[in-house]
Amino acid sequence: MSHDCDCGDAQDQIYQYLDSELDAQTAHAVRAHLDDCDGCFDSFDFERRLKVVIRTCLTEDMPEALEVKVRELIREEST
Amino acid sequence: MSNSTLILSTGQDRATPQVVATPAHGYRADFMADQANFEREALQYSRQLYSAAMRMARNPTDAEDLVQETFLKAYRAYDTFQEGTNLKAWLYRILTNTYINKYRKESRRPSEVDLGDVEDLYLYRRLGSEDTAEASRTTEDRVLDGLVESDIKAAVEELPENFRMPVLLADLEGFSYKEIAEILDIPIGTVMSRLHRGRKAMQKRLWEFASRRGLVPEDAERP
Repeated sequence: MSHDCDCGDAQDQIYQYLDSELDAQTAHAVRAHLDDCDGCFDSFDFERRLKVVIRTCLTEDMPEALEVKVRELIREEST
Repeated sequence: MSNSTLILSTGQDRATPQVVATPAHGYRADFMADQANFEREALQYSRQLYSAAMRMARNPTDAEDLVQETFLKAYRAYDTFQEGTNLKAWLYRILTNTYINKYRKESRRPSEVDLGDVEDLYLYRRLGSEDTAEASRTTEDRVLDGLVESDIKAAVEELPENFRMPVLLADLEGFSYKEIAEILDIPIGTVMSRLHRGRKAMQKRLWEFASRRGLVPEDAERP
């Protein structure tokens, strides 16, 4: 048995895996399971893509004037 | 995480650091060096902090105020920051505390998410209820492409504060659970359970947005 991770284990650890919170050995076992299991692979892939969409959509363009203002405040504070 | 014990004093409980009894000659130069150093090191995170502030305050005016106040507090307390420790996490701790103090009334909002019988991976499972894997995949693609920015933002902003913060710190900023625990001053187990529940609640909401936008086949819209 090269690894020890079934569908239940994989699903239980999906977020920790995607958040890079698993230790190397456990992550390796999960990855090995994903190689063998299309169903789990699909769900992991969907969650991974959703994470990317969420991150992209939440990122804002900061108004340039704000950075200027912050620098001003800091310089005022220093004088 | 051996080298990363965070020093997360925000300087909030203490008076603004005073420069006292510093010999006149060295003092001004040190101060200028600090200022340049702060601008170089801390302001690189301003765009990210602004994105987080927008999801906390929910409008640009308050978000800008929050960012300004955060940097000003950070600058005033900069001498308490230990170089070599996690500056980004330190700034986020100041941002989070500033937000919570400033909008304390928020805490009267419901602090639990109503998940009913929402299952894990809710969105994926609902989308996967089609006849073939291929059809499911098509629906998944359509939903991931078709959800618009405002849906995602609304789904996050509707989360009660204690769930929204961990989700923002993890999904927007990519902080580790340990860092989130230290920023929010809660145990790691609490971070994990709030993240889990917060993400579930978001997925439920995203499902509703997706069906409203006609992104999912009608027969998948079982109550």
